[in-house]
Amino acid sequence: MTESTPFLGIEGVVAGYGGGDVLKGVDFTVKEGGVTCIVGPNGSGKSTLLKVISGLLKPRLGQIYFKGTPLVGLTPRAILKLGIVQVPQNHSLFGEMSVEENVELGAFIVRDRSVIARRMDSVREMFPIVAERAKDKAGSLSSGQQRLVEFARCLMLEPELVVLDEPSMGLDPKTLRVMFDTVKMMNAMGRTVLLVEQNARQALKMSHHGVVLENGQVRLSGTGSEVLNNPEIGVLFLGGALLEKPKAS
Amino acid sequence: MNGTAVLHSIIDGVLTGSVYALMATGLTLIFGVMNIINVAQGILVILGAYLSYALSVHLGIDLFVGLAITIPTLFVVGIVVERIFLSRIKGPERVVMSILVTYAIALVIEGLLNIVFSANYVELHAWYVVRSVRVFGIWLPYIYLLGFALAVVLLGALYVMLYRTRFGASVRASLADQTAAALVGINVRRVSTICFGLGVAVTAAGGMIYGATNAFNANSSYDLISRLLVIIVLGGMGSLGGALVAGIMMITIEDLVSVVWGPTWSNLSFFVILVIVLSLRPQGLFGQRSVRVA
Repeated sequence: MTESTPFLGIEGVVAGYGGGDVLKGVDFTVKEGGVTCIVGPNGSGKSTLLKVISGLLKPRLGQIYFKGTPLVGLTPRAILKLGIVQVPQNHSLFGEMSVEENVELGAFIVRDRSVIARRMDSVREMFPIVAERAKDKAGSLSSGQQRLVEFARCLMLEPELVVLDEPSMGLDPKTLRVMFDTVKMMNAMGRTVLLVEQNARQALKMSHHGVVLENGQVRLSGTGSEVLNNPEIGVLFLGGALLEKPKAS
Repeated sequence: MNGTAVLHSIIDGVLTGSVYALMATGLTLIFGVMNIINVAQGILVILGAYLSYALSVHLGIDLFVGLAITIPTLFVVGIVVERIFLSRIKGPERVVMSILVTYAIALVIEGLLNIVFSANYVELHAWYVVRSVRVFGIWLPYIYLLGFALAVVLLGALYVMLYRTRFGASVRASLADQTAAALVGINVRRVSTICFGLGVAVTAAGGMIYGATNAFNANSSYDLISRLLVIIVLGGMGSLGGALVAGIMMITIEDLVSVVWGPTWSNLSFFVILVIVLSLRPQGLFGQRSVRVA
């Protein structure tokens, strides 16, 4: 990877599900080591873009490069092997399997049992719930707990890029804070994070970069605070001003 | 009616039901992983029976020894059918299309079996088919006990595969959520193909026991598939444990009804139980309630 090669480069991506294109030429780059947040109204193509990145959906046109390697046409498994892990929007734990089994499956593509054991120990340390509820069925956990176990599972591959699709969905305010703290922790550990969020204010505040998608195209990109402070974006796409309301004196 | 007859029918039901459970487990595994209703499962059981018949009559190979040939053969048949026909079915109409495609496959196999073996009924013969043993004062044909043992061994092997191996974990993950399974690196396509092969392979064992306990021809598949479908619907589509419980339960109740009210009512009881259970629990005994959006 040369200096000019983007960590993740999305170039002219056009994709949809058969009933027309949802993404209509998306271009932006994700910088290594940061948190990049994609925001935008419902139907703007945020989740569709993440499906294209993780290989679940093949784009009609365009290309995605990860450290110079083209991703289009690769299977989700091949993309995982490159170091890109996605936590999908809806709860993705296997409900009838135990918490421990779920987390171990995060390292499904790793063959070396000693590596898996070492990573399990590390994940148990970071996420105590993995040890506390190890033998419980994953389906018996609360929404917030399931989200933390999903994070734990995705770290089993020690990925370079963690892709999160609306991680705050369905979480109460207290759990929301824990979730955002965990995202910050993953980033502090050296993982680059790309997340899609409806909870725009909180997500952009903790992000180094922000991208606004509108109708399948990039409307604006910049630093997290630039996007957060842009009044037009706040009014048009995010249900009003994103800035904190001034406190009454 | 006396106590011995009732006890006999219960034991018969459990022994025979376990073989149905084995056949139904294959069917429900295929549905759970692939969203495919394989209505060819009945004729594949009969194909398994005919393979055992051919090996026994023409090569003198014992029915149980012959399974070493028929099980791998039907596994390969399953793989070929999945790769050539079923892997092409995609999209929201997958379930309905799978019924049509597998029905067409069933008709082709039925036609071929009628040409090769004629429509005359045949039976599988071996010493254990005709001899019986006295257990708790009841005479039971050896084949019922051996069939039960075979079903237990194969279901046990399936259990170990599913719950003690890496491949089993990938099957269970694919059963639960195919997208999430793909996102942890499971090759869902490959898992589906192997599961279809396994689901068909068990028909070799089921077919051999069926052929040893019933006279059969290609048309026997219709009765079989209707029973197998009832069992997996009753157990809960995609539930392996459900197929096991429902298989044993249905055949036992059918045998009991036959003894208590007479054979005329036994077939009917199969469907009456289905209607009653589904009225109270539409997802079946162990099935998950599906969520319908708007």
